[in-house]
Amino acid sequence: MTVPHTVRIFALVVATTAFYGYVGQLVPQREVQPPEEIVLSTDLTTADMVKIGGELMVGKGLCLTCHTIGKSGALRFPDLEGIAARAASRVPGLSEIEYLAQSLYEPDTYIVPGFNPGMPVINKPPIGLTDPEILCVIAFLQTLGGTPTVTLQSSHRYYKGAAAPAAAGAGAK
Amino acid sequence: MNRKLLILLGPVTGLVMFGAVVLIATFLTNREYQEPYRAPAAIVDATPRAEGLAAERATAEATARAKPYVEVEYRAFPVVGSRVAIWAVAQLHLLFAAFVLAVPIFAVLIEAIGYKTGDRRYDRLAHEFTKLLSVSFSLTATFGAALTFMLIILYPKFTNYIMSVFSPTFLPYVLLFFLEAFFLYTYYYGWGKFHPIVHLGLGIGLNIVGTAIMFIANAWLTFMMSPNGISDGGALISVWEAIYNFTWMPINVHRVIANVAFGGSVAAAYAAFKFLQAKTDEERAHYDWMGYIGNFVAIIAFLPLPFAGYWLAKEIYAYSQTLGLQMMGGAFSWLFIIQAVLIGNLFLAANYYLWLGMGRVEGAQRVQRFIKYLLIAIVVCFMVWATPRSIIATVSEIRAMGGSSHPILGFLGVMSAKNTAVNILILTTFMSFLLYRRTGKTATVAWAKAGHLAQLLIFASAAIFVIFLGVYGYFVEASVRIGLSVPQVSSVLIAMVAITAIDVFLYRRPKTTADVRWGRMPAISQYVLIFIAVTFTWLMGLMGYVRSGLRQHWHVYGVIRDTSPDAFTPTLGFATLVVSVTVLAFFLLIGFVFWLASLHDLPDFEKRTVQLPHAPQLAVDGEAGRPS
Repeated sequence: MTVPHTVRIFALVVATTAFYGYVGQLVPQREVQPPEEIVLSTDLTTADMVKIGGELMVGKGLCLTCHTIGKSGALRFPDLEGIAARAASRVPGLSEIEYLAQSLYEPDTYIVPGFNPGMPVINKPPIGLTDPEILCVIAFLQTLGGTPTVTLQSSHRYYKGAAAPAAAGAGAK
Repeated sequence: MNRKLLILLGPVTGLVMFGAVVLIATFLTNREYQEPYRAPAAIVDATPRAEGLAAERATAEATARAKPYVEVEYRAFPVVGSRVAIWAVAQLHLLFAAFVLAVPIFAVLIEAIGYKTGDRRYDRLAHEFTKLLSVSFSLTATFGAALTFMLIILYPKFTNYIMSVFSPTFLPYVLLFFLEAFFLYTYYYGWGKFHPIVHLGLGIGLNIVGTAIMFIANAWLTFMMSPNGISDGGALISVWEAIYNFTWMPINVHRVIANVAFGGSVAAAYAAFKFLQAKTDEERAHYDWMGYIGNFVAIIAFLPLPFAGYWLAKEIYAYSQTLGLQMMGGAFSWLFIIQAVLIGNLFLAANYYLWLGMGRVEGAQRVQRFIKYLLIAIVVCFMVWATPRSIIATVSEIRAMGGSSHPILGFLGVMSAKNTAVNILILTTFMSFLLYRRTGKTATVAWAKAGHLAQLLIFASAAIFVIFLGVYGYFVEASVRIGLSVPQVSSVLIAMVAITAIDVFLYRRPKTTADVRWGRMPAISQYVLIFIAVTFTWLMGLMGYVRSGLRQHWHVYGVIRDTSPDAFTPTLGFATLVVSVTVLAFFLLIGFVFWLASLHDLPDFEKRTVQLPHAPQLAVDGEAGRPS
């Protein structure tokens, strides 16, 4: 019995779409949820901030979509390993924290030689980290080649720092 | 089919449809909340319970009356959810729209060739392409209306925002749609009724209006990806800047080219469908030729498509590096491996069809001997393109490899290798076409040898240059490497233009060694055309998904956040299933369009009944179908 061409065409269309649908099942499957809002308590220690900063860099901040930590070679954006050691001396007149804050709030002001501008302003949408969240990111960055010193009361020229909690002592920079 | 059965089929279909409507209506009304029946208050004792219930009801009523009007942000679509519902309808609308916009572009060109050369075959071919338009236009409009209503119902807040930003564009859009209908129907129904120049003018008008409609719609969707002309808070500053956002022009160009490629492939699929059903050699010859032209249009448009894609990607990066990296290196990076499979299949199938086509000409063996080398080049490029940068591996495997990239194959997963592979693929396909073009012909010009040598040199230089830049990309900084794709693309384009220009003069008055015997194609070649059309359509669905899905949890990137339950980005497996189902639905509908277009060629019912061997028992006096 000869199968009519119409049936064959239909079978070909179904088989082709099914095949491509199957190819789609073979690649890694990852469902990406919208970033969760992190509520920062006012009595976070620097160690807490480092932990939160690390999470923000992977999640809401999307930092590690572009940056790497501990990679070399032909990179698209600067590797962050040892950033704390370099930050203090990178731009004359800017302290470590001021330099890191500038790269997050005004990323196009200083471009690392060999790279193109392209980093988004971190405190505005679509990323939109809050000022305390950015302090957490700075705390994490300070661990890459240095010692974290920032607290939620730390200030820089883009943010005047949070008021110290009643029970907490000094800590503002 | 049995005549009595046909007569019965009408009322039965009507009854089934009526039953379906009643069922749907019953289902919908049953879902509404209804107060349970209660006996009238006057005939029951006012027990404390009844009084309490009455008071409760009165409070509820008072609360309901005092309820203020609140704008709804989202509404849910049953079963599949709002996102999938909008996704499927938008995809179907876009596929039909792409077809309706593409067919007039090459129909007018073919008609113009027919007018210029006086060859009536071209006119007939252009008319045949146009036959597919009117039903497709209706389906485009129907899906467009469904999409609009569904957006208003399911995503009212987002739709309000887009309407407020683009309010000046909607009335011109509607006006253009009227004009589109005017030009389309006069172009189709006026075939052969006007002076050819007037008719061509109608076709050109149809193309201009259709392109303008697409440009307006593109402004809305590209604004969602790369919003411009608004304040930090989303307030409109300039409509023109909102229209002329970063990705608007690249999408315009990309869509025009992709539409032509897609339209050509679907028209070729129609020709294949007709070829397979053809009863005579003449019909087979005509539809073989039509399929060849459709496929030629598709492949010629397909070749520059990756370049338009580069430009679009470049503009996405220019607008937001985060968005660009999310696309190529983040959640969507594996999607491009699926894309590589599709494009690899397209190149293989297109080349295979050309190689089969060489069989139409006697003595094709002279050029067919090159096919094996072309096939090797295509397969190697396909493999490079489909190599992922990072692979799924266990922790111990990752440790052994020193990272998620394979120590050797990982080098093939980066853009330097992939850009090189796609450029060589394009050059190879171009070479296949060139070989097909000269099957059965010998150049007679005095400089034929030098011409062939020049073509070969240009081809080899372009290939070597592309490979050199690909390798060089591994040794330079990112800022330099990104720029290398431009000379790669330019060298391929220049090579194709230069080789074509030489070829035109080289084969101006060739010695024909054998004629093309249209219709002498194996049936498998026609299934290849259908496969190409399905793959093109699937590719459009996939790339439409990445363009739209790239925004992730934003309706308008960085401005209107998606807070609906569908705000997450689904897995690629889920996305590809939705694309598959939508593509299948499209082909069922386009199959219906093909069938309707085929009806046009059938003789009238009365004439058919006369020709049937058992026709004598039927009357032919105007009351067709009634037994005498």
